Amino acid sequence: MTFGLACCAIEMMCTSMARFDIARFGAEVFRPSPRQADLMIVSGTVTKKMAPTLVTLYEQMPSPKWVIAMGNCAISGGPFVFEGQYNLVEGVDLLVPVDVYVPGCPPRPEGLLEGLMKLEEKITGTRRFPVPEPKW
Amino acid sequence: MALETRVIEEFRSELRSVDINEAPYDKQGYHLAIEARTGNLQNIVDFFDKREFYIVDLFCVDYQDYLELVYFFNTHRELCRIKVTLKLDPEKPVAPTISNIYPMASWYEREVHEFFGVYFEGHPNLTYLFLHDGIDHYPLRKKHVPVPDEDKKLLNSFKPQEEEDCFFINLGPQHPSTHGVLRVVLKMDGEYIISADPVLGYLHRMHEKMAEKKSYAQFLPNPARMDYPGALLFNLAHVETVEKLCGIEVPERAKYIRTITCELNRIASHLLWLGSFPADLGGLTPFLYAFDDRENILDILEDVTGSRLTYCYFRFGGLYNDINEERFVSATKRFVERMRKRFDMYDKLITGNVIFINRITNIGIMEQAMIRKYGASGPFTRSTGIPFDMRKVDPYAAYGSIDFEIPTGHIGDNMDRYRVRMKEMEISLNIIEEGIKKLPQGPFKAEKVPKKLKPPKGDIYNAVESTRGETGVYIVSDESDTPYRMRWRVPSFSNLMTFPYLAQGVLIADAIATLGSYDIVVPEMDR
Repeated sequence: MTFGLACCAIEMMCTSMARFDIARFGAEVFRPSPRQADLMIVSGTVTKKMAPTLVTLYEQMPSPKWVIAMGNCAISGGPFVFEGQYNLVEGVDLLVPVDVYVPGCPPRPEGLLEGLMKLEEKITGTRRFPVPEPKW
Repeated sequence: MALETRVIEEFRSELRSVDINEAPYDKQGYHLAIEARTGNLQNIVDFFDKREFYIVDLFCVDYQDYLELVYFFNTHRELCRIKVTLKLDPEKPVAPTISNIYPMASWYEREVHEFFGVYFEGHPNLTYLFLHDGIDHYPLRKKHVPVPDEDKKLLNSFKPQEEEDCFFINLGPQHPSTHGVLRVVLKMDGEYIISADPVLGYLHRMHEKMAEKKSYAQFLPNPARMDYPGALLFNLAHVETVEKLCGIEVPERAKYIRTITCELNRIASHLLWLGSFPADLGGLTPFLYAFDDRENILDILEDVTGSRLTYCYFRFGGLYNDINEERFVSATKRFVERMRKRFDMYDKLITGNVIFINRITNIGIMEQAMIRKYGASGPFTRSTGIPFDMRKVDPYAAYGSIDFEIPTGHIGDNMDRYRVRMKEMEISLNIIEEGIKKLPQGPFKAEKVPKKLKPPKGDIYNAVESTRGETGVYIVSDESDTPYRMRWRVPSFSNLMTFPYLAQGVLIADAIATLGSYDIVVPEMDR
């Protein structure tokens, strides 16, 4: 589901564009409606005002369904956590169960792709693509 | 005679009882300062309205002993920034509204009300705009001030009246064409919009509050997260303001590199818009092409700054590191050459498309006179034919020594806004080329900038031209290493508030086209 919240949404869009081409991994069908989606990528900061909407959208998705928390904000509040903050949900896992966490501020498109593969691994138990060898 | 001298003369003859003082523009960023009282505020604002000033900003500063409302005015013809202040009692702050003179003020007043608890007498709709329903105090006050019960009634701003013969549509907060999490409550009569009411705050990330808690250097990454498509420009706004406040001189080389990278970022941001605008109208193909070009810019900027999107490259007094000249210059030249050829392709792909032309021509027409009332800026203003650009009126970085023109539109419809942005990209390419030609050698960083900045006491307003318009930073310093108050004047906020005006009585599909032409960024409005 397209659930662009903040900066990470731009990287999510980049992932689906020509260079990174999420379609190579068979995951390109972004749907604007939760009824047609099975994966919610929470890409950005979740505020207290947004939280009820996010939970509603998650509940509207038909099972089986999964959640990727993309970016530090969705994981834990990221750079916006400070003493006396009044408008932030410190981690989307306080609201909905999260399957894969993709760290970064924002994560690179490669990171999101790796997150998708991790999710596949979690669902099927096997990894379709080999882990690339680090070059250094 | 300079405009400010003329204003002083006329002001003194018309409003004798009010003091008007000249301020050092280099140090404070405004020419004139006026202290108003509750009784004469309306007259003062009326004075500036008659002289065709536009409202730049309205906000509040909590000085503990008193609250101070700050109004900024400026003209589109030449730079003459005026600060009007109004002191209020912190126990029971009540101020007269100026929304009857400047409609935009009503939105700013709503913001001040929810963050500071200031009441505005005569305000048409003093409901909450940003904050969530559970808020129990006024966040930007220095002391903990609880929200009284009668204020909590104002929290939920959406109250449909059942007897009316119309229905409501919630556009957003999760909607593909609102570019993030903007919510607009539309009151509909069939396919036609009776009234549109934006609800913000779904991405309010407390930047202004954070600034008060963090030192100047610690706040550096934040502006990039405010406006992520044009991160460098916001970074520049913050850095330049602090530099001016502390009196730090920036080396020439750094200024040029700032200009070049900023213009690259501007093109990247416009390309993002160029992709998403036709996508709002149903054409998804341009998205792929625009992002392809955008990736080229990201490669160049990533090489220089180290990140793809949320750059934090400028430091107080210069840059984080010097560019690798050989690699940067050749890559940029290659990009400029490539981009020039792409415009023909975009013309064929988008500008010449009959559906696209019919969807946006003569729709969402903004009159010149209304621009001033709403304090809109950027390409939005220029599309109505006002050649107002902060890069030109108040040159910063290296814009003063680079020659460039300002594209303007004619009638201010969606097509004009589209054309102005397209032309702006071409002009940015020219600026980049000239900047590279003139790029001087030398240090990239000022020497002896202390790690912990402690600026002198005082306040400053400084503005740059970001992709969407005039981005201003107002800082009050109390000689400590954190700002006492940092206020961001963001262009998307004042631009978007023209939407209720433009959307009235049009088809919902046309309103979507208009919304797409704004190029809004939600985190920037919500701050």
